[in-house]
Amino acid sequence: MHCGSGTEEKVSDSKGEIFANGFWHNNAIFAQLLGMCPLLGVTTSAENGFWMGAATLLALLGSNLVVSLVRDFIPSSVRIPAYITIIAAFVSMIGMVMNAWMHEMYLILGLFIPLIVVNCAILGRAEAFASKNTPVNSLVDALAMGSGFTFALVLLGGIREILGQGTCFGFNILGDSYPDVLMFILPPGAFIALGFILAGVNIINRRMAAKKEQQALQTTQIPITLETQS
Amino acid sequence: MTFSKEQWRMVMALLMVAVLSTIFLGVTNMLTRAPIAEAERQALMDALMQVLPKHDNDPIQDTRQITLPKHKQATTFYLSRNQDRSINAIAWETIAPDGYNGSIRILMAVRPDGSLNAVRITYHQETPGLGDGIMNLHWLDAFVGKSLTNAHWTVKKDGGDFDQFTGATITPRAVVKAIKKGLEMFAREHSHLLENKKQKVKESNDALR
Repeated sequence: MHCGSGTEEKVSDSKGEIFANGFWHNNAIFAQLLGMCPLLGVTTSAENGFWMGAATLLALLGSNLVVSLVRDFIPSSVRIPAYITIIAAFVSMIGMVMNAWMHEMYLILGLFIPLIVVNCAILGRAEAFASKNTPVNSLVDALAMGSGFTFALVLLGGIREILGQGTCFGFNILGDSYPDVLMFILPPGAFIALGFILAGVNIINRRMAAKKEQQALQTTQIPITLETQS
Repeated sequence: MTFSKEQWRMVMALLMVAVLSTIFLGVTNMLTRAPIAEAERQALMDALMQVLPKHDNDPIQDTRQITLPKHKQATTFYLSRNQDRSINAIAWETIAPDGYNGSIRILMAVRPDGSLNAVRITYHQETPGLGDGIMNLHWLDAFVGKSLTNAHWTVKKDGGDFDQFTGATITPRAVVKAIKKGLEMFAREHSHLLENKKQKVKESNDALR
């Protein structure tokens, strides 16, 4: 299982850099293409995307913190089952809490909540970052990765909701006369919208890189690796 | 067979992680069990309020558990009573197993004369924008007052009384079929269901089919 390992050998100690890296340069969706299953599965609306992202963010914060705290006690040969157990415990707890106090959203997200356990983005962070860094830095990394993931889910959910139903977060944006493009609510729409988003992200990244080169500044290599999802 | 020091470390590390995770899960379960039950009760309550007519009792408490023929588990029937204790409607959840994407759960309330008081969908996973039209209250209102005798229980495409949706016929077809089956069950069992006594009716074992 190589879930994001090797992308993070050298890490800056600057909190700002860790955040920028997690939120954008190494974004779980845009750069690593991890966590595709919840991304495509629940983003029929911006609100669904937001709460799915929030649940994932919480699971990341918990698992990154605990993995970082116990990183010196877990022998490396059993680290993966240990991490998975920690992640599964957090996800189950989040599921129970959502079921109790956000019952309706829990029913909507349904199966995708327990499936956060196998979201490779989370195990990837435990393995690539939290197991090698201090608890505080691991929390910053989790916050960045989680909010970057949430941002991607809300973006895709928002685009699909606007094009598919003419609303965003339930508010009517395009008016009643808008002919709903149903396809964007359906699975093909998720893939098509994601393709355009990724193209846009690549354009932005290329412009940013070109700008940096022009200014003849030292460019830090953007670690983009395509991972295989387990 | 003896473990080396390294193996012991592995075993202990995994054991500790497992024990601690279990403790945290247990505590969370204890803390959320009551709120989860309350949330589920509230959701059921909201749905019952929408399907039942005006009543003077607490339908969540006033129930009958009956195991229907060919069912493994007992179905809970919620009674709605007038001030004089006479039953004015009875509600239960029925399942349409043949939705486009899994089962659809339907809460239906039937008056003693066998006509529907109201119908709500309590759970479905149908396609957003297509099959989820069954959640539309306007569509659900078409069932109000319908009984086995005054309606054709299929979608219009099949010559019946109920609208299908553009691009989605399977979902409304499944719902209409399930409600019809519910009404047929009511017609067979209504003597048990409507018996006006306080204690719960025992299982009905009659093979009525």
